[in-house]
This record gives sequence, structure tokens and C-alpha cells, in this order.
Amino acid sequence: MEAAPNIEAVVQFGDGDSIREIPAARLAIWLFLASEIMVFGGLMSCFMLLRIAHGGWDAEAAHVHWRIGAFNTLVLLTSSLTMALACTSAKERKRGTARRLRTYLGFTIVLGLTFLGVKACEYSLEFAKGFTPGAGLFWAFYYTLTGLHSLHVLAGIILNTTLWIAAARADLVPVVQRRIEYAGLYWHFVDVVWIFLFPLVYLT
Amino acid sequence: MANSMQEKSTPIAGAALDLRIWEWLVGLLFIGLLVFVTPIPKVAAIGLVFAAAVVKAVLVVRKYMHLAAEHWLLYVLALTPVVLIAGMAIALLPDIAFRP
Repeated sequence: MEAAPNIEAVVQFGDGDSIREIPAARLAIWLFLASEIMVFGGLMSCFMLLRIAHGGWDAEAAHVHWRIGAFNTLVLLTSSLTMALACTSAKERKRGTARRLRTYLGFTIVLGLTFLGVKACEYSLEFAKGFTPGAGLFWAFYYTLTGLHSLHVLAGIILNTTLWIAAARADLVPVVQRRIEYAGLYWHFVDVVWIFLFPLVYLT
Repeated sequence: MANSMQEKSTPIAGAALDLRIWEWLVGLLFIGLLVFVTPIPKVAAIGLVFAAAVVKAVLVVRKYMHLAAEHWLLYVLALTPVVLIAGMAIALLPDIAFRP
């Protein structure tokens, strides 16, 4: 397999011998992730402050399904592994790279869909018991936080699926090899958000 | 002999490192769950669960997102919103959480 041509724009920092280059796309995705930290961080800190103010919401929190949440955490952590393996295999320039890339991306997509499927089942269980978003402040926060996160998972699945389809075409494999790093950064960020959401909503 | 010593001292990388990080993440998840089901004081349990979450997040960010090998500017980019959010929460804590 031929090496992917380096046509990325870069941003330079420093001067003289200490000059460093960061690909413009990487800098852009980190800026985007910083804005996402503000969104989720703002919501989570509001949830924490109001929870302390309302005495912990222990009665409401006792009704969330922590076992289902723990299973979903395991699913998302495993999807992070398959995404990291896809990124690692994308850096290798040897035979079978495209096939491995598609396999790992495929696993990541399936695990993302599993996460959403389990979340949908969890929502239906809670709705059946009458715990709708209008059932109280705790449930309003619960659905906002987990719903917004699920939308991000859905966006990641769409992104990974477009890369998976593109990786099937031999002429697009070098493009996918470059872009998968950025898709991976987004996917891992979604995982990090859940790493904090799970204990915040389910275990406290 | 020399070869085996060299193999031992070579740090793991690539897919092997990805797998090792995942093992740590899953281990920390189970430690958090164990703390949750163990009858210990709630404040201590919450502290331990969130400490495990912070370690997991650091592992993902540094190893899977490769921030450990990045330019310092990206650290600043990632940490600035975290500091702003923490500052906002601490500033609002007396007014919202401990209002009589």
C-alpha cells in the first residue's frame, strides 16, 4: 500500500529552532471538543449544585437502573478500544490495513448501536414506571444529560459509518487513514463524558 | 540473553498498549462498582467512585486521544474549559447549594 500523501494544512507555533507544527484539522477538533466540554461541564455542574441544594435526590436516584448503566459503560469502554485499534491500524502501512480498519470501525459502530439500543430499553422501563422528563427536576436533568450524550453517540456512529463506507473504496483509504484520527478523538471524548455521567447520575 | 533483556525493557505500544489501557479502564469500572455496593460512608464512596472516574478519563485522554504526545497548546485548550467550569461551580456553590 502506498503511503498517504501529506496534504494537511498545519499551524506553526514558536520561532527559530523551537518551531512546532500542529495540523490545522487537529487544532480545530480540539477547539470543538473544548466547546463541548463547556456544554457538558455546565450541565453537569448545574446538576451537582442543584442536587446538593435539594438534599441529594436520593429517593429519585434510587429508581435509575445502575446495572444497565454499568453494562453500557462497559460497552462504551470497549468501543473506545476498537476505535483506538482502528486508529492504530490506520497508521500501519502494510497489507490488510484497510480490512482491519473496516473490521475495527465496524465493531465500534455495532457497539455504539448497542449502547443506544440499551439506552432506549432503559428509557422505556423508566417511562413505564411514570418517570418521564416532567416527573421532577431530577428526571428532567437525567433525560437532558443522557439524551444529549446519546445524540453525540448517534453523531459518532454516523461519522464512523461514513468512514467505514469510504474505507471500502481503495482510492479513499488514504483519506480515511487521515480522517479516522479526528473521528477517534470525537469518539473518545464521548466516552470520557460518559465516564463522568455514569457515576454522577447512577452511582451517587 | 541480550535480546530478551531488550524485549523486557521495550515499552509496549500500538495495539498491545490499547488493550492494556482497556484492561485498566474495565478494572477501574469494577472497582467503582465494588465501592458502590460496599456498605461504606456515602461521602467516602462518592469520593472513591469519582477518583476512579478521573483516573479513567486521564487514561483515555492521554493514551487513546494521544494528548500525552501533543503540543502544550492542546493541553491549554483542553484544560481551559475545565478550569472555567470548576471555577463557576465553586463560585455558585455558596449561593445555590448552601442557601438557607
